[in-house]
Amino acid sequence: MTESSANKLLNGDACHRTSNGKRSSKNGFVKNHCVFQQPQKYRRPREKNQNVTRNSSLYKKPFSESFEETPLLVAVLTYMGYGILTVFGYLRDFLRYWSIEKCNVAQEKEEQKDFVPLYQDFENFYTRNLYMRIRDNWNRPICSVPGAKMDLVERASHDYNWTFEDTGRVVKDVINMGSYNYLGFAENTGACTDAAIEVTTKYGPGVGSTRCEMGNLDIHEELEQLVTRFLGVESSLAFGMGFATNSMNIPALTGKGCLILSDELNHASLVLGARLSGSPIRVFKHNNMISLEKLLRDAISHGQPRTHRPWKKILIVVEGIYSMEGSIVRLPEVIALKKRYKAYLYLDEAHSIGALGPNGKGVVDYFGLDPKDVDIMMGTFTKSFGAAGGYIGGKKELIDYLRRHSHSALYATSMSPPVIQQIITSMKIIMGEDGTTLGADRLRQLSENTTYFRRRLCEMGFIIYGNDDSPVVPLMLYMPAKIGAFGREMLKRNIGTVVVGFPATPIIESRARFCLSAAHTREMLDTALDAANEVGDLLQLKYSRREQPRPSLGWMSEENLFD
Amino acid sequence: MALGDCWKSLSWFYYQYILVTALYMLEPWERTVFNSLLISVAGMAVYTGYVFMPQHIMAILHYFEVVQ
Repeated sequence: MTESSANKLLNGDACHRTSNGKRSSKNGFVKNHCVFQQPQKYRRPREKNQNVTRNSSLYKKPFSESFEETPLLVAVLTYMGYGILTVFGYLRDFLRYWSIEKCNVAQEKEEQKDFVPLYQDFENFYTRNLYMRIRDNWNRPICSVPGAKMDLVERASHDYNWTFEDTGRVVKDVINMGSYNYLGFAENTGACTDAAIEVTTKYGPGVGSTRCEMGNLDIHEELEQLVTRFLGVESSLAFGMGFATNSMNIPALTGKGCLILSDELNHASLVLGARLSGSPIRVFKHNNMISLEKLLRDAISHGQPRTHRPWKKILIVVEGIYSMEGSIVRLPEVIALKKRYKAYLYLDEAHSIGALGPNGKGVVDYFGLDPKDVDIMMGTFTKSFGAAGGYIGGKKELIDYLRRHSHSALYATSMSPPVIQQIITSMKIIMGEDGTTLGADRLRQLSENTTYFRRRLCEMGFIIYGNDDSPVVPLMLYMPAKIGAFGREMLKRNIGTVVVGFPATPIIESRARFCLSAAHTREMLDTALDAANEVGDLLQLKYSRREQPRPSLGWMSEENLFD
Repeated sequence: MALGDCWKSLSWFYYQYILVTALYMLEPWERTVFNSLLISVAGMAVYTGYVFMPQHIMAILHYFEVVQ
């Protein structure tokens, strides 16, 4: 690649390099050709969302997201709470060090104390002193099917959550607002289970080999053909574990001379895969198309860091629904950018496949786009299909290449037959091929539940993040004590929720995450909402400062009127 | 009865205080330590105010020449 061709932008315009090698983004010429212009207007400071839809012509229906800003008083009090906990953490560590108090964490033996330390005390400061205190909200053992309702094993702790004992009782019929059960396929009765039982009696549960050696059963082939038809791509490949799909396939796709542009809030599996590949990674702000475009333009105009050669390929890695924020990716804009700058797109539809779109075919279906525009469509079977595993769909050459070069395809054990049958049956139900309307009913029920639940929570006055159509509903808690209090109070009212804090979220933005399901009936949602209302009043969680009722006018909202 | 309502209201305020200062997550002896520190500091502030307030007020009035 010669110097002059590297200087040309891909749309044919020449890029003039300044003589002292300054960044060409300061050159006014480069800015004027951006697809998305930076508007010169005053923005209301109340909403944190700077990613307002600019190219509204790409969207067929209103795209309304909201990330209300943290109230200042709440932020200050949250920091104060963490400060107090930190001080007491130091006090407890001091007591443990001087053996005034019994130490329950891993420690080295006396003989090894003179060597390089194996356990660094400070690294686990947060785990020891903050997480342990409210640890009873996580890892709760479930002793039934995690469907719309479940049974929990009741545990008691006598030494402040360091050890747990079973009391012998079981909490029955807890409404499950935490499982990723979007279409309600996590059940132990029905067509899926019967088919899975039949297949287990035919093939047995274990496979005993990898796909490339002796583990390729005929139902693996059937599954891959079904997934291909479902997604509308040319070919697909299925793996046993969703995390492994991301972390083992991105290294097979990119390498030393390639660039990965990944969203700020991508999942740990995508980050791990990107790091394992060895390519430089550049991060753009969450769902922010201006940031992405700037990175693309800089990457193309400057090339690789020291040699300034052009990048071999540029891979944009985004997710369909981000499960911690509840936001949906701006796919039409990403595809427009990808086409203009000739990059490749890796779309991780872990949460959105089966949950979004009129036919349940994910975020591509939701926006009404062509699946052939997305180069690599990845997804998991864990969430909407009630099974386990992941898949990658794309062009035939890509999938054939991955079959030979992906670590997961070569070394990982193949999927277990009953799991595959569960996926096959559930996918056929969603597509409507089993002859009933069960799939369409469930899809409609999920979107009704989503709209109802989100509207009711917003009306109550909670701060809810995310897009109005996403079945993942994060409810902001902020203060550390409220994380533990919310989990416990909801369990007292027989509702099982997932609360999340640092390090999965930024330190002050801890939240409770509700995952809606098509299996939830209106009564269950009403019970859950009443309980949330009560707990919200008890814990003073209704921080929202919006005028009620919130206008759901989408297109006509104030930001867009200025465009 | 008024006393019962008063007790309930105080108990609710104490619960909010415990939540906001993250004392909810601490063990009872840690809460005692923190509360006693807080009360002793507040008590010292009140006592200092009580002892020095007359002198401060006289100084202010003297400055504004209200009193000789």
